[in-house]
Amino acid sequence: MKKGSARQPRTKMRITVLSVALCLAAAGIYGAKVPSGPAVEERADIIRIDSLKIFGTLGRPPVLFLHQKHTEALEKKNKDCTVCHLSEKDRLVSKYMRLQDTTKQEVMDIYHINCIACHKATAAAKEKSGPVVCGECHRDKPALVSIWQPIGMDKSLHYKHSRAQNEKCERCHHQYNEVTKKLYYAKGKEGTCRYCHQDITEENRISLREASHLGCIDCHRKTLAKFNDAGPITCNGCHDPAQQKLIEKLKNVPRIKRNQPDTVFVRTAKTALQNPKPATRMKLVPFDHRAHENYNDTCRVCHHADLNACVQCHTLQGAEEGNQINLEQAMHRLNTPMSCLGCHTISQSDPRCAGCHANIAAERLPDPAACQACHMAEVTPVAENIQSVESKNLAAAILDSRTPLRHAVAESEIPENVEIKILSNQYGPVKLPHRKIVQTLLNHIRTDRLVQYFHRDPYTLCQGCHHNSPAASKPPACVSCHGQPFDERGSRKPGLMAAYHRQCMECHEAMGIEKPVATNCVACHQKKS
Amino acid sequence: MSISRRKFLGWLGAAAAGTTLGKTVNAASNKHFSGYPDSMGVLFDNTRCIGCRKCEEGCNTVNELPAPDQPFDDLSLLETERRTTARAYTIVNRYDAVSNPNVKGPLYRKVQCNHCLEPACASACFVRAFTKTPEGAVIYDASVCVGCRYCMIACPFEIPTYEYDKAFEPRVMKCTLCYPRIEKGLLPGCVQVCPTEALTYGKRKDLLKDARQRILKSPDRYVDHVYGENEMGGTSWLYLSAVPFKELGMREDLGVTPAPKLTAGALMGVPVVVGLWPVLLTGIYAMTKRKEKIANQETEQAVAAAVEQANAEAAAKHKQEMEQVQKLKQKEIENAVKKALEEAAKPKAQDVSDPQPEKADKKPSEEES
Repeated sequence: MKKGSARQPRTKMRITVLSVALCLAAAGIYGAKVPSGPAVEERADIIRIDSLKIFGTLGRPPVLFLHQKHTEALEKKNKDCTVCHLSEKDRLVSKYMRLQDTTKQEVMDIYHINCIACHKATAAAKEKSGPVVCGECHRDKPALVSIWQPIGMDKSLHYKHSRAQNEKCERCHHQYNEVTKKLYYAKGKEGTCRYCHQDITEENRISLREASHLGCIDCHRKTLAKFNDAGPITCNGCHDPAQQKLIEKLKNVPRIKRNQPDTVFVRTAKTALQNPKPATRMKLVPFDHRAHENYNDTCRVCHHADLNACVQCHTLQGAEEGNQINLEQAMHRLNTPMSCLGCHTISQSDPRCAGCHANIAAERLPDPAACQACHMAEVTPVAENIQSVESKNLAAAILDSRTPLRHAVAESEIPENVEIKILSNQYGPVKLPHRKIVQTLLNHIRTDRLVQYFHRDPYTLCQGCHHNSPAASKPPACVSCHGQPFDERGSRKPGLMAAYHRQCMECHEAMGIEKPVATNCVACHQKKS
Repeated sequence: MSISRRKFLGWLGAAAAGTTLGKTVNAASNKHFSGYPDSMGVLFDNTRCIGCRKCEEGCNTVNELPAPDQPFDDLSLLETERRTTARAYTIVNRYDAVSNPNVKGPLYRKVQCNHCLEPACASACFVRAFTKTPEGAVIYDASVCVGCRYCMIACPFEIPTYEYDKAFEPRVMKCTLCYPRIEKGLLPGCVQVCPTEALTYGKRKDLLKDARQRILKSPDRYVDHVYGENEMGGTSWLYLSAVPFKELGMREDLGVTPAPKLTAGALMGVPVVVGLWPVLLTGIYAMTKRKEKIANQETEQAVAAAVEQANAEAAAKHKQEMEQVQKLKQKEIENAVKKALEEAAKPKAQDVSDPQPEKADKKPSEEES
């Protein structure tokens, strides 16, 4: 009796606990399903405050500070940057309310005391204010996503700046004197900021981030104060992708003058004396430097580390300063815009080119004859004296002697329609508008210099479809090579049906042509009645 | 008398060790089946598939399956993920695979029997309705099928289906790799109609080389994996894909061990249990019985000996006592004789009063002894 009476209420209690737990769980699942949290906010102005990292591991999650939000709030009250940033040598320091990171406690206090004080004061004035409780700033998973985009100084932007500064390069460009430990300007030694200012601050050399914010924003602020018109001073002004699009891109930008040659033979040794014997050398490459300046937005596309000749680091044998990448590799590496061949190959992925090149680019070994498209000049003493005017003129003459091929195949040479009926079974024959296709392709490339200089045969274009046979005015038809599929003893090339379908479909896909849809058979095939 | 717990466990241990050792020996052997050398297969390359469903139509035609509810050129069916049915040996599903930036549109996956090198369905079938032919096809013999559908449970790819709507002689239905056609040197129905050769038919070993070559030539286009090369010990159908296979709903957790090998250990135990255990247990029983018998015999002997000894001892004691009694009697007689003689020697006057007290003296002495 005693046992029984004691057990019953306990069981009841268990059931109650269980059902409550189940309800809670159900509510949890339900609750999780319905509101998927507040929508993630996209911001370009997120600053991760983790300054205390240099003193050891952080005790709480770092604060994600929305800078633009604060500048906008201050602007409304006619306050400026100096509310939060101190000045040193007439320039604002990027750190918050301090010049130096002294001690952990001090830096922490600067943030806590000043942030909270301002938030409290704002709230006291009955205005919209920021958090004053730990967890509201130090959030584990803030619903923020960064859309921050880096901004680069392209030719257009550079020209705008040099025009505004009356071509006074020294306003931005400088060198560092190791002895006097001072910055100075050296005419003709200018380079991209990134050559010196790297990702992180090193001794005597602040990071690119620090340098650009210190330099750009300071100048923009002062200019704004003087002329009421200047570059952006807010985060979004430079780093919001939408705002970046609003920055006007000038079409005709004068050349940046930095002693670069117009035409030049690509150097193969640091000095002429180091050149190996002519008998064992490749022919020289005359290079149209001026033309390539036009094709690229910045110098650092090619000149990735400095504005010297490639061979200064990438020697014939490879050297420490060139990361052991020798001149041949530096010029011919694939999948990088820094090398000649790499950049030319990347441009083949342009939809206008991809139709033909998607299938042949990666798998084909370069034709030995193709080397001569660049390696054009005999090694002669005149040419080898690369710095001389004669050598530069020779390079220009050789480059000019090339005839850009216009690829004007006579209309009569292009069959107008090709009827494909050899396989017709389920459907009727296909009428291929052959001439229309060829002419469309020709129009695509007519003005492209790369095509004009590198497709050296007027019938090269035909090889896009009529592949694996020499360029000719009457190339073989598909059926000449493709037959039954899955030939064990053959080269395992596609059968005729697959050859037709894949040639058309893969080319259309690569060129981004959406119609006819691949699965709409009767868009190409005639319906059989 | 019965076997002790300790002994029983001992026997059990010995028996278990025996079966395990037998297996180890087998595993150390060179027996490994890696498929029939020249078996055929199909390589599906989803970078070439356009999702036209022609393969479904081709399959339906050559296998004379019932016409579908919706025509094959109705591509709206691709909106839902489908499975093979008793009326469709193969189907195509569409996936929005986004993990490869080189892929512009959706990707497709063809589903049909993979024709495992060592099929799970065949190993689960106790009437041997499934056969892996040297040509590569896993074929089914409806005449022996009892309809248990173990094959459907066994298949890791969930391929075999059943004619549930048939009241009489329902069959398990699945792709046959068009075995009747490939025997005649024809292509499987699906392969024959594929307009882009997204399906390549050939010897499995050649297809593997072909697949590797495609990956080598276009490393950006494919994930570096040929599905079916090793999955479940290898399958006759092989797959190339632009995105990881799990994004196409294909299982990547199957491992490389063929299904029969996974069950072989347990199934190998069956003969041991069914055949050897009765013998073993009978042996144990017989030996126990024999021991009991011997023990009984020994006890009997011991008892007999003890009884004998006891008897002998008793007899000896009896004899001794008898002798003593005899001696006492003798002594008494002698004493009596002596007394009689002494009395005879005494004067005749005392002869009348004396004999009574003498008798009274004699009695206690007799009791004492």
